[in-house]
Amino acid sequence: MCRILAYLGEPLPVQHLLFDTDNSLVRQSYSPRLMNTFLNLAGFGMKAWDPTSLRPDDPFTYRATALPSFDRNLRFISSKVASTCLVAHVRGVTYSGDAVVADTNLHPFHFAGARVVLAHNGHLRQFSSMRYALLDHVRPELAQRIEGTTDSEWIYALILSQLEDPYGLPETRELAEAIAGALRILRDVRAAHAIDTSSPVNLCVSTGRSVVATRVSFDYGWYPPDDEMLETDLPFVSLWYAIGGEYAEDDGGWRMTAGEPPRSVIIASEPLTADFSSWLEVPEYSMLTAELTPAGLAFETRDLDV
Amino acid sequence: MSDRDTIDLLAAVPLFEGRSEADLAELARVMRRRTVRAGDTLWRQGDHPRELALIADGTVAASVHVTGSGAAEIGRSGRGEIVGLIGVLDGAGHATSVRVTEAATVLALGRQDFAALLAGQDPSAFRLRRHLTTLLAARLRSQLEYLAVSLGGASSGPPAGDAGAVCDELEDTRAPDSRYVRRMATFHDFDPLALWGFLTSGRYVRCPPGRTLLAEGAPSPAYYLTINGAVEKVLVRDDRRIRVGLAGPGKAFGYEGLVDGRPSPVTAITRERVLLLVVPRDLFARLFHGEDAVSRGFLDVIQNDLMATLRETLRPCARLAASR
Repeated sequence: MCRILAYLGEPLPVQHLLFDTDNSLVRQSYSPRLMNTFLNLAGFGMKAWDPTSLRPDDPFTYRATALPSFDRNLRFISSKVASTCLVAHVRGVTYSGDAVVADTNLHPFHFAGARVVLAHNGHLRQFSSMRYALLDHVRPELAQRIEGTTDSEWIYALILSQLEDPYGLPETRELAEAIAGALRILRDVRAAHAIDTSSPVNLCVSTGRSVVATRVSFDYGWYPPDDEMLETDLPFVSLWYAIGGEYAEDDGGWRMTAGEPPRSVIIASEPLTADFSSWLEVPEYSMLTAELTPAGLAFETRDLDV
Repeated sequence: MSDRDTIDLLAAVPLFEGRSEADLAELARVMRRRTVRAGDTLWRQGDHPRELALIADGTVAASVHVTGSGAAEIGRSGRGEIVGLIGVLDGAGHATSVRVTEAATVLALGRQDFAALLAGQDPSAFRLRRHLTTLLAARLRSQLEYLAVSLGGASSGPPAGDAGAVCDELEDTRAPDSRYVRRMATFHDFDPLALWGFLTSGRYVRCPPGRTLLAEGAPSPAYYLTINGAVEKVLVRDDRRIRVGLAGPGKAFGYEGLVDGRPSPVTAITRERVLLLVVPRDLFARLFHGEDAVSRGFLDVIQNDLMATLRETLRPCARLAASR
């Protein structure tokens, strides 16, 4: 289990999202508020788009298996980058000898040359028994690029495979449809393999110009006997958002300022502040889409029936 | 305000109904009287909940922060009404900000003192728990009615036929592994015997997804507790609907009408296939009015569920208030 974060909007120093708030993403790696029995100590990764940078369509990339709270390089970089779009992730794995903590398993996933990146909070139970059935639905050239051992990288390849051009810049609607299509394939493959246990798939997927997020779980509420992830998965895996003008510090606290139409949105596994009052919970079984337009931020939520 | 006035005020508060004169005098002694000016804030949303407040006179307004819009007022309270209950009960920060709109006198009851009233095993503690459940159910109804109005149209009403028929049609199944149930946060505070008593109080049923178990406006035939899967609690008006809760493992539904004797305020539809504990109306009444460890845990489960649903529905209520 992990924690994810996506931001889209006005240029914002990355450190405000990663370090400055009292429930920042980095803090969620060692002290998550909404996970009672689990920490996220298996690495950090981020993709940050800065329109003033060289090759603005290519995001800054930072990934390390080191603990982000002690990572000085991450602090230095995040204080220098002001991003209009960010996808970041702290990874959690089960405390077992089977877990692989490695650079190749760090999110966000981003195949070279592709415009889409993905971070995942959740896990597909019994993935090893369905993994290779997904090959029927993943383009061979994309399947060959899977380097790690995670279910998340397969979900990424599956989503790219649903796009007309996996290396192009999809419209927000096409990206949303590709994600919904990939989830339907996962549902069908699970059913074909008689997998019917709870498998949360909270995603943040982005092109740098738009963000699509899901809060969904297959077979929510059903668990295998003696499941070590049970306490973490009994509540529907969380996802929150804050939307408005800009994310700013005011009177000692961080809040999204008023903005109509909105100009910025943060989507995160947990609110970035201990005070949840300015955050909204993403409804269970739903998809959010956010896109930067000349008129502001176009934002939509819809039910996701997969 | 004399001590006599305070005791008379407490005697008229439904939450403290049935308490003896001596009890009320003791309660009056531990409550702190405070005079507050118009414009003052009792607490802000999210503040650590140190106390609840009984309004002796004056008026206060409760508001909820709405992202991008500021504070939205969601209600006013006056003499004899209590504010700050949810935060004091669940300890998760005050659910609303409370500002004084008309100079007021409030009687503040500390969280620890309120917890002590609830902690007892005597009949008055059980009575307080039941009053509290009834009060929270009434508040939830009020919030749900407010949300339902925003959908426009009319409720399609209860389906024709026996409300208990759906319940009877469900496929019976065996009880779940108690080791699994014990790992649910809902049951962490149960002692093993009370948990056993609770888990054997009804029957277990399975149901596929997409099935309406309970319709808004219909009498509830039973209390349902989700063991596996998930049930959506929704308000439906024509082709529009709002989800007001998701009853996953350890969460309950169908109890509001059993608590206050009115029809169900929501429709409950299975979102996933489910395994449910079904406690029929007569057994519910026995547990609700009982005064042993099983009843105590049962009341806790309902109370926790009510508070969580109240918190969930506060935000859409506030967004609605802000848009008007």
